[in-house]
Amino acid sequence: MSKLSTRWIIYAGLAAVVILAYITSIQLDTRPSPQVQKAYNYFENLPESTIIMISFDHEASSLPEIQPITLAILRHAFRRNLRIIGLSLFAEGTAIGYRFMTRVAEEFGKEYGRDYVFLGFKPQHISAILGMGESIIRVFPEDYLGYPADSLPLMRQVYNYNEIEMVISIADGDRGIQWIEYAGAGYNQSIMCGLTAAMVTSYDPYIASGQLYCTVGGLAGAAEYENLFGKKGAGNRGLLAQSMAHIYVIILILIGNVVYFKSRRRRNSGP
Amino acid sequence: MDIGIIIAGLLTLAIYTFLYRDNPIYRAAEHWLIGLTIGYAMVVFWQTTLVDLLILPLFAGGKYILVVPLILGLLMFSRFSGRFSWLSRLPIAFMIGTGAGVAIPAMLYARTLKQLSSSVAPLIAEDGGFNIEVVVVAVGLLTTLAYFYFSREHKGAMGKMAKVGTYFLMIFFGATFGYTVMSRMSTFIGRIDFLLTDFLRLLG
Amino acid sequence: MRTRIPLLICLISGVIMFAQYFSRHPVARSIFNNVNEWWQIIFAFTLFVGVMAFAKTSLKKINRSQDSIYQIISLAGLILMPLLAIIGGTKIGSPFLWIFESMIAPMQATVFSLLAFFVASASYRGFRARSVPAAILLVTALIVLIGRIPLSDVLSESLPKLAFWIRDYPSMAARRAILIGIGLGSMTTALRVILGIERTYLRGE
Repeated sequence: MSKLSTRWIIYAGLAAVVILAYITSIQLDTRPSPQVQKAYNYFENLPESTIIMISFDHEASSLPEIQPITLAILRHAFRRNLRIIGLSLFAEGTAIGYRFMTRVAEEFGKEYGRDYVFLGFKPQHISAILGMGESIIRVFPEDYLGYPADSLPLMRQVYNYNEIEMVISIADGDRGIQWIEYAGAGYNQSIMCGLTAAMVTSYDPYIASGQLYCTVGGLAGAAEYENLFGKKGAGNRGLLAQSMAHIYVIILILIGNVVYFKSRRRRNSGP
Repeated sequence: MDIGIIIAGLLTLAIYTFLYRDNPIYRAAEHWLIGLTIGYAMVVFWQTTLVDLLILPLFAGGKYILVVPLILGLLMFSRFSGRFSWLSRLPIAFMIGTGAGVAIPAMLYARTLKQLSSSVAPLIAEDGGFNIEVVVVAVGLLTTLAYFYFSREHKGAMGKMAKVGTYFLMIFFGATFGYTVMSRMSTFIGRIDFLLTDFLRLLG
Repeated sequence: MRTRIPLLICLISGVIMFAQYFSRHPVARSIFNNVNEWWQIIFAFTLFVGVMAFAKTSLKKINRSQDSIYQIISLAGLILMPLLAIIGGTKIGSPFLWIFESMIAPMQATVFSLLAFFVASASYRGFRARSVPAAILLVTALIVLIGRIPLSDVLSESLPKLAFWIRDYPSMAARRAILIGIGLGSMTTALRVILGIERTYLRGE
């Protein structure tokens, strides 16, 4: 079989597996992983009106994975009547983050300026993280909508990280690590992360050392969180397709190795 | 149907034509994306930083010290001039120096000391049980560090330690690969969700 | 002078930002806040320098009739976004944001999703247990792939636990070693940069 046709068979197979699994609307049950359970318990035990910060540190490319995590966390936070300061350290996360916040805030009847605020974006992320340790309003003199930050009731109660109980970085890269290294190390700020699955192993040492409270990782993590929260969403919808895709990749790996070892044996036992 | 969804769907399919092979439709979509993304970033950078932190405080707020970063920022453009291009070194040096200065304590504390200190953990737990995990982490850490120590030849005991370190690295790469597959598949599933639900309206 | 002044600026800014970590004095905080703000502002200028360089390269290619149509498409996109922002603003409902939501976000997500196919293809073609380390990598990947799906409970309850154990201990240990190595390397490089030993950033005007 030519290399090209093998490639197309693999591509077509993947597309077929995922589409068929997605069309079959079977919902799978998941048990919450320790990290997700820890995140959920944290929000459940926070007193009402506690101020948290959510930083949308991701690009549009990771939206399919990030969206379920973000919506689950936002819904939980608003249900617990927490007050949220949103911002972004990625240009694309700005519009996305604002959309998510306003969408979920509307679901819970939350008022902008009093219950939540979206500060916008600053390009030099380390400078922004360090600057907020001194004064958040100095880094963000205006919010995303152009209002002076100190005119917002929520921002009048916040000066720097001292008033922020937890920073949740929703990241598809290493922005979360920079939160840990600069806000965590410099200002003792507690950090939690919502991550794409690809980044999860990079953050494990920080969880083990206590520098990172916990992570909610990938579509599976989002599905587990949705189940704990009691409202299934995109995380659960994609779980069967994800499982089938994994099985497909496993089969490909096994077939590839069988083919390899067979051809190696043939070469070794050749004339 | 919303025109935005139609356009999003068509552009999605245009990008997927790359799976067949590189073609003009894909290249056009790719270049369109590049131009739009840069344009988007330009607007966001201008509004959120140059207007908010420089122009308004300097010209409307009377914060004249901001002339310094304004001049340094404008000097960045000198790199397009042959004769005065060396002036762009000044703002670059400022940014590099600033970044290096904040990095030292952060790297020292967060990446080195804290990581090392959390590797030192009790072998016997409170309930009297033996923490095999502490041994695994200690062995993994030391052998992987041995692997990356290139100032000494990997021979003898050092060689054996480095070999074990390789195995731990393979475990890390294997785990990362597994999670990366998960991540990539999730992104693809998201696009399938959009195509089937919003664009083609085959699912509710 | 062309080298000395930048090195001096690098030294001063580096020392200020390093020293601020050890002082809570109001004067020190004030200096830190100002330098930090300048850093943010100058950084924003770098994007515009990049945009100019990109436009310059694209125009050169158009002059040389090299992929002209694609360069024109890129430049059109580059010009369109600021134009829309000026005309219609940048808030929810504006044409600027509509373009972001209807074109940029979907296309970026799609480009990223292509990787799913490449990963699948690479799994078949490249993932071979050729040696002991390769076999370890393979087995670990298989355990994690199986362990993180809900159906793994059908095979064995231990599989998800094993997948988490691998992540929490041996994998984490290797990653920790890499982090420590990077941390030490970054520190030494940062010191070398501040002290002017490392000067690569001064080249390439």
